[in-house]
Amino acid sequence: MKPAPFDYYSPDTLEEAVALLAKLENEDLDAKILAGGQSLMPMLSLRLARPDALVDLRKIGALDYIREDGDTIAIGAMTSKSAAEDSDVIRTRQPLFHEATLLVGHRQIRNRGTVGGSFAHAEPTAEYGAAAMVLGMDMKVVGPNGERIVPAKDFYVTYLTADIDSTEILTEVRLPVLKKGTGWSFQEMSRRQGDHALAGAAVTLRLVGGVCKDVCIAVFGVNASPTRLAEAEAFITGKAATEDNAREAGRVGADGLEEPMSDVHATAQYRRGLIATLVARCLVEAASRAS
Amino acid sequence: MTTKQTVKVTVNGIAYERQVEPRLTLVDFLRHELHLGGTHVGCEHGVCGTCNILVDGKAVRSCLMLAVQVDGESLTTVEGLRNRDTGDLHPIQQAFVDEHGLQCGFCTPGFLMTTLELLRDNPNPSEADIKDALGGNLCRCTGYEAIMKSVRLAAKRVQEGQDIGLTHTD
Amino acid sequence: MSIEIPGLPEDMPGAELKYVGKDVKRIEDPGLVAGTVEFIDNLDLPNMAHCAMLRSPHPHARITGYDTSAAEALPGVVAVITGEDVKRWANPVTTAPEGWGSYCLAVDKVRFVGEPVVAVAAESRYIAEDALELVNVEYELLPVAATAEEAIKEGAPRLFEENESNVILSKTYDWGDVDQVFADADHVVSETFFWNRVGANPMETFGCVSTWDTVNNSLTIHGSFQTPGFMALGRAFSLNLPTNKVKVVSHPHGGSFGGKGGPRGSEISSLLSRKAGGRAVKYIEDRVEYLLAGAGQSWDRYYDASLALKADGTVTGFKVKLLDDQGAGAEGYGTISIAKPIAAFTGCYRIEAARYDLNVVATNRAPTYPYRGYGPPPHNYVLESLMDIAAQKLGLDVAEIRRRNYIPPEAFPYTIPSGNEYDSGQYEVTLDAALELADYEALREEQARAREEGRLLGIGVCSVVEPGVFDWNAYTTVGIQGVGVPEGAKVSVDIMGQITVTVGFSLEGQGQYTLAAQLVADFFGVDMAGVRVAYAATDVAPPHFGPGGSRLGVSITGAVLGACRKIEEKFKLVTARLMQCEPAALELADGFVRIKGVPGAEMHIAQVAGTMLARSDLLPPGMEQSPEATYVWTAPGRTEPDEQGRCKSYLTAANACHVVMVEIDPGTGRTDILKYCVADDCGTRLNPATVEGQLMGGIAQGIGAALFEEYVYTDDGQPKVSTFAEYLVPTIHEVPKTDKAVIVTPSPFTPLGAKGCGEGAIHTTPAVIMCAINDALLPLGVQARATPASPNRVWDLLQQAK
Repeated sequence: MKPAPFDYYSPDTLEEAVALLAKLENEDLDAKILAGGQSLMPMLSLRLARPDALVDLRKIGALDYIREDGDTIAIGAMTSKSAAEDSDVIRTRQPLFHEATLLVGHRQIRNRGTVGGSFAHAEPTAEYGAAAMVLGMDMKVVGPNGERIVPAKDFYVTYLTADIDSTEILTEVRLPVLKKGTGWSFQEMSRRQGDHALAGAAVTLRLVGGVCKDVCIAVFGVNASPTRLAEAEAFITGKAATEDNAREAGRVGADGLEEPMSDVHATAQYRRGLIATLVARCLVEAASRAS
Repeated sequence: MTTKQTVKVTVNGIAYERQVEPRLTLVDFLRHELHLGGTHVGCEHGVCGTCNILVDGKAVRSCLMLAVQVDGESLTTVEGLRNRDTGDLHPIQQAFVDEHGLQCGFCTPGFLMTTLELLRDNPNPSEADIKDALGGNLCRCTGYEAIMKSVRLAAKRVQEGQDIGLTHTD
Repeated sequence: MSIEIPGLPEDMPGAELKYVGKDVKRIEDPGLVAGTVEFIDNLDLPNMAHCAMLRSPHPHARITGYDTSAAEALPGVVAVITGEDVKRWANPVTTAPEGWGSYCLAVDKVRFVGEPVVAVAAESRYIAEDALELVNVEYELLPVAATAEEAIKEGAPRLFEENESNVILSKTYDWGDVDQVFADADHVVSETFFWNRVGANPMETFGCVSTWDTVNNSLTIHGSFQTPGFMALGRAFSLNLPTNKVKVVSHPHGGSFGGKGGPRGSEISSLLSRKAGGRAVKYIEDRVEYLLAGAGQSWDRYYDASLALKADGTVTGFKVKLLDDQGAGAEGYGTISIAKPIAAFTGCYRIEAARYDLNVVATNRAPTYPYRGYGPPPHNYVLESLMDIAAQKLGLDVAEIRRRNYIPPEAFPYTIPSGNEYDSGQYEVTLDAALELADYEALREEQARAREEGRLLGIGVCSVVEPGVFDWNAYTTVGIQGVGVPEGAKVSVDIMGQITVTVGFSLEGQGQYTLAAQLVADFFGVDMAGVRVAYAATDVAPPHFGPGGSRLGVSITGAVLGACRKIEEKFKLVTARLMQCEPAALELADGFVRIKGVPGAEMHIAQVAGTMLARSDLLPPGMEQSPEATYVWTAPGRTEPDEQGRCKSYLTAANACHVVMVEIDPGTGRTDILKYCVADDCGTRLNPATVEGQLMGGIAQGIGAALFEEYVYTDDGQPKVSTFAEYLVPTIHEVPKTDKAVIVTPSPFTPLGAKGCGEGAIHTTPAVIMCAINDALLPLGVQARATPASPNRVWDLLQQAK
C-alpha cells in the first residue's frame, strides 16, 4: 500500500503554480494539485490515483486567510479546516458553515485538510457541498486566462468533479453571512461520529407570520453531487414548520431525489429514508432558530 | 520521473537532512529513514490515528502526508515526549501508565500525541472535548475507558501545575 | 516430583501480599508509552529485502499461466516466487479436520479474493509493489460458491476438487434424551438467526522477517506471533524442515485477539528468503491485505435453534442446527470455533438435554481464523435470544426466567450435558448485582414511560458462562488430538539475588509479564521492580502455548508458582545444611529463608543463591549448582473425550451478567446505548486493573459485532470491505461508560483460584445488545435476527412494521 512514483513541485506563488500546471498539461502529463491531501493521500497509497506529478500549494501563503468583506466571508483555499472551525467570524456570522466544518472527519484531519481542497475534490459525502448550495456560495477559480467566479449551483459537475479545469486552481470560496432572523440547521447521519455521512441535509429559512419563507434545502451524501430539493422547498414555503408539515416536506424531498447511491453501509432506499428524516428534522430545528 | 528531493526537517528539536523520493510517506520517512520507530502504522489510509504526530504543533496523520511536505517544518513525535536529560516520562505518558490506559500499546503513541495537542490547547477539557479530540484514534484493546481516565488524570496534573511543554526547543 | 501450587492467595508464602490482587502498574508500559518497544516493523536486519504480494482478484479461478519476467527485470527486485516454487518447496498447511489446507501461494487455482498468487522481494516495499504491477497472471474463471447455502447444494462448484463436496464436517451430537424432552415440553420456542462475519483487527497487522540459512538448511522467523511454538511447528511441516530447524522469535505485538501469526505471510517471506539465497525478507501485511485476507475473520453462521420449556419456565432442552461458513478451507483453524461452544453449550442453565447438529462448509470467501471468543459469541446470542423469546411466550420477565434456570451454587462442580465440568459459580448473585447496579425496576419504569411517548427503548439482561483455560480435548470434534496444554516458565535467581522469569510468549497486551513479576515478588517477598521477565525464542523456551483460550493468566500463574516452589525447596535444603536445621523448620518470607520463630536466624535469598553458584563445597551432596527451576503447568484432571465429544475440557467457568438499555432512533434506525452495567465473576482477580481492561476491551469488541462490524460479500463472492472506511471499529464515541460490580467465586481447581477472563465480555455483549434491541422493537412486532443490527438493517425492520 505505497504510492506509485510521481514528480513533486511546490511553487512559491499562485502565478508559478498556474504556469506549472499549464506546462505539465502541455507535456501531456497528468498533474494533481495537492492541498491538504487528506483525500488524495489514501488514493495515492491505494494506487487508485496515479498522477505523473503533484503540485503542492503549501508554500503559497497568500491562499491562507479568512476575511470579512462586508456581508461576505472570503476563505482562502489553503485555509485549514481547523482554522475555519476556530474562526470567530465564521462561527458567529455563518454558524451553518461552522457546523458543517465540525462534521468533517476528526480534528487531526481538519488540521491538515483545507477548505479549498474539500470543495475542489467534490466528494458526494462532503458536508461543504450542501453548505455551498444552501448558502449560495461562490468559488473563485484562477487559470491561465485569469480569474472566474463559479456559483455553487454550477460548481458541482458530477461525482468527484467540480467545474475546475486541469490548468486551473480554486483559490477562494465566498460565503454570505447569515442574514438576521434566518433560521438554519445542518444534520447528518453517519455510522460513527466523524465518518463520511450516509446522508445529510442543510436548511436555511425565514419565518414570516409563523410560516416558512425563503426556504433553501440541500442534501448531500445521496447523489453524485449535492442537490437542492426544490419540491420540498416549495411544499414547506408558506406553511408552518410543524412536525407534520416538516415530515411531509421531507417525504416530498426524498421522493423527488434521483436514485441515491448504494454502498456497504446504506442502500439507496435507506438513503432516501434518511433524507426524509433529516430534512424534516432540519426544518424543525431551523424554524426554531429563526426569529 | 521521481527525482529525489531534499528534505530538511527538525524532529524533536534535532535537525535532519535526507534525500527522498517524492512518494515516500511521512510516516515511512520517520520510521525507516530517521529510525524513529515509536510512531506506528495502523491503516495507512487515515482512519486509525495510530501514526498521529505534531507538525508545526498540530496533530496530524503522518500516513496522510509525504515526507517532502515537511521540508522546513518542525515535528514532534512520541520520542520527543520524555525529558531528554532525565529520561523521565512526560506527564501524559505517566498518566497512561498510572491509569492502565494501554494494553498492547501499539496505538498509544497516536493517542499520546493527540492528547498533547488537546491539553496544550485546553487544559480543562470536558468529557465531550476529550471524546471529540480522541474520536479519530482507534484502540482495539482498552474499550477506551482507561484512556479516558488517563487523559483526565493528565489534565488534572496539568491543572495542578505540571508542565506538558517539551524539554527540547522547537 | 509433585509440586503443590497455592490454591488461594492466602496459601502463598509470607504474611502479606504486596502485589497479587492489587491494581499493579504494568512493567510493560514505560517502554510502550515511550515508543521504544521493538514491534516487528521496527526490526531491521542487515541487507533485508521487503516483500509484497500479488493477490487474486477472483473468488474462484484456475491459474493458467504466469509471466513474471518484467518484474524480475525491474531494478531493485531480489526474488519472485509463484505457485510453481511453492509446489516444489512446500506443502499445504495442516488443518483440522485434515485435507482442507492450501499452499501459502495459490497453486493451480485461487479460492478467494485476496489469496496470494505471486510474491516479490525487493530493496523496498515501494519497489516490490511497483514490481507487482509488472506481473501478469492468466486466469480461467470458475463458478463460485459464494455462501454456505450455495456451497452445500448438489453440483455446487467444489473448492477442493480432491474432496467429495464442500462439506468440511457434518455431525450431530445428542446429549441426553433430546427427543423425549422436546416431546414432553409444554412449549417449544424456535427461531433462526444469522451472524455475519466479523474479525479481530488488532491495530498492528501481521508482520515477520524470515531468514533461511541455506547452508545449514534452517529457518529463523521474527514476527508478531501469538503462539510462537505452535507456529514454528506448523512451518516445519509446511516448509519440509525438521522441527528443530525452525526458530520463531515472537516480538511484542500490537494486539492479536486470536488470529495473529500469519502462516501464509511467514511461509511466503521464508520461501522468498530461500530463493534470494538467504537474505532476510520482511513482510508487513498492510490493512487492506488484512481486511481482505488476514488471519482474523470469524463466524459466518446460520442458526436454527429451539428451546423446550415447561409451563413454569424450566428449560429442559436446547437444540442447535448450525450451518457454518468457514470460507476457503480450514487453514486458519476457524473450525475450532464450532467446537468451543460445546464447553459451555447450555450456558448458565440446568438444561437436561441438548443437540448440536453441525454442518461446516467451505466457500469462496476468505478463510476464517480464531477471533477472541472463538465461537461462543454467536452461540450465546442464539441461546440468550431464545431465553428472551421463551420469557415472552410465558409472560415472564427476562431476568426471572434466567433466575429460575440457573445452576445453583451448591451444584458445583457441575457437569453440563455436553460433558464439560464447571468449577464454581453463584449465578443468581451475579444477576442480582447487575440488576441492582442498573436499578432494573427503574429502567423498566423508564421504558414504560418512553413507550407511551412512542420512543423505542429496550432493555437486555444476559447471563453467560465463559469457559476459561482451554484444553486441546475441547476440539476433538474437529479432529484435534491431545489432552493437556503445557505452559512453562523458568525462574532463576542470580548470584546477586536478582530474579528473572523466562517465558515463551511475548507482549501482546494482557499484562502477563506484570503478572509473572507480581507472583515472583510476592512469593519471595522481594520488590517487584527487581524482577525481570524475559522472552525466550522457540529454540530455547520451555514448552509453551502463549496467550489463547483465556488460558495464559491461569497457566502462567501455575508455571511461575511451580517454578518458585521448586526453588523454595532447593533453597530450604541449602539453608538447612548451612544453618544446621531441618528444612521443615524453615520458611520463605521478605526475601529471606528463615528458621520459623527464631528472630534473626535467616539467610537472604542472594546469600543462598550465591552459595549455590559459588560454593559447591557447602551444598548438600548431589545438589546441582542451580538456583533456578522450570515448571510446566497444565490443567489437572482433563479427560479423553467419549464418542459424543464429552470430556472435562475448559478448566474454569467464569460468569457474567450484563444489563443494558438502548434506544433506537425511529427515523434513522440508529441504536444508542444509554446504560451498560456489568457484574462479573472470574474468580480471584490477580491484577484487578488488567482484568477490568480485558472486560472493557471485550465489551468494545462486542459492541462492534452487535452494531458496526461486518465483512460484507457480494452475491458473487467479491468482498466489499477492504479499508477501515468499510470495516467500522468502534471509537471512543461508540463505547459507553459502564458500571461494574465484582463478584469473586474462586476456582477450586486453579492456582490462586483465578479463572480465565479474557473473553467473557465478548461472549456476552453482542447477545445483550441484540436482546435489548429486540426488546425495544417488541411493540412494533418486528425482531432483529441478523448481526450487526446496523442502522440500515434496523431501519428496514421499522419499515416492515409500518
